[in-house]
Amino acid sequence: MRKVIATGVLCLATMIAAAQYPGYTLLADDAAFVTRFSAASQKTSTIKSDFTQEKNLSLLADKIVSKGKFWFKKENKVRMEYTTPFQYLMIINGSDIYVKDSQKENKISAKSNKLFQQINTVIVECVQGKALQGSDFSTRIFEGSSSFLAELTPINKNMKSLFKNINLVIDKKDDAVSKIEMHEPSGDYTIISFVNRELNTTLSDALFAVH
Amino acid sequence: MRCLLFISCLLGVMACSSAYQKMQKLNGDANCIESFSPSFSRALYSTKVNVVGKHLSGLLIIKTMPDSSIRMVFTNEAGFSFFDFGFRGDDFTVYHIVEQMDRKAVVKTLRKDFELILMQHIDEVSSNMLKDGREYYHVFQRKGDYYYYITDSACSKLIRMERWSRRKKVMEAIAVDYMMGIPDSIGIKHNNFDFTIELKRIYDHADQ
Repeated sequence: MRKVIATGVLCLATMIAAAQYPGYTLLADDAAFVTRFSAASQKTSTIKSDFTQEKNLSLLADKIVSKGKFWFKKENKVRMEYTTPFQYLMIINGSDIYVKDSQKENKISAKSNKLFQQINTVIVECVQGKALQGSDFSTRIFEGSSSFLAELTPINKNMKSLFKNINLVIDKKDDAVSKIEMHEPSGDYTIISFVNRELNTTLSDALFAVH
Repeated sequence: MRCLLFISCLLGVMACSSAYQKMQKLNGDANCIESFSPSFSRALYSTKVNVVGKHLSGLLIIKTMPDSSIRMVFTNEAGFSFFDFGFRGDDFTVYHIVEQMDRKAVVKTLRKDFELILMQHIDEVSSNMLKDGREYYHVFQRKGDYYYYITDSACSKLIRMERWSRRKKVMEAIAVDYMMGIPDSIGIKHNNFDFTIELKRIYDHADQ
């Protein structure tokens, strides 16, 4: 009887999970995925890409769309340059963050600005795939026809206050993150889609220089 | 550059401010101010905040909702929301605010600053008008706060806005270059501490 109930609960959970992400099925065993994704991450030393960021304001039924260019270099260097509809540059180089808006440029020590550190570390770790292996999130992996979806749910209280969950869409073609969805507790969410991705091209360190 | 010019003008004007007690009291229709009331159907602003030596930038979206309330959401450029406020006359709602900003004094200051800009307290009951040289001060009172809208004699131009406590000026603001009822630039400067907000309208997908 217990086995029947347990199987029923498992089936129900699988159905609910599948309904949550149409086109995706929950992987009961994600070991193969983890091995595959880790191997791909190991081989990826640089990423160069365009991106579109869509900030969805659920209660306002509105969204803010911005576009720009993205560069990543192992281990922990990221450059995000927003070009439209505003200009904004953010460089993350280890524990240093450099931001430049239309008025000022600022070097921020991630250690001195915890909120900034947490938000930006999440972006870097999501691109790297490190977020899947870290201890900040519990993970469920879903498989679709052309991509995997990794659902990351924060474990610690601090991270929970910032994000309800973060979803990474990983393209099966190159096993690279093609989309990051950051869901906030308020119901608002931001989707960053990476297009025209180029892996392992030569990127100068100067791109990530924090002055 | 234009924004810098506005802020410079604002600073110049502040230096010349005089005590309201000495002004001439007038009978007049203070509600001419309503013609300057902004109509934020939907507007996105590039936002710069300077507070006690710290600089913060982001995006502010202001939108009028179907129930005629005004919602205001401030996010950083990467899309993370700092606060989400709702204004409707004397009513104010905090829909969301990050823990780091969730301080009574911060919320109260932002609420009152934006209530001045959004002209949420314009009514006949509390209105008054004063004259100081060529400037006309349209005054609206809410509890211990005084909201001033300063115009020319014909009430054809809104020169600046100010908020006073019972004794002293707390802050002043400008809203300029209106297009379809939406100001292109907004500047806020506090008197009692180093705090400025600059908003410059940007046009995104929704405006195209």
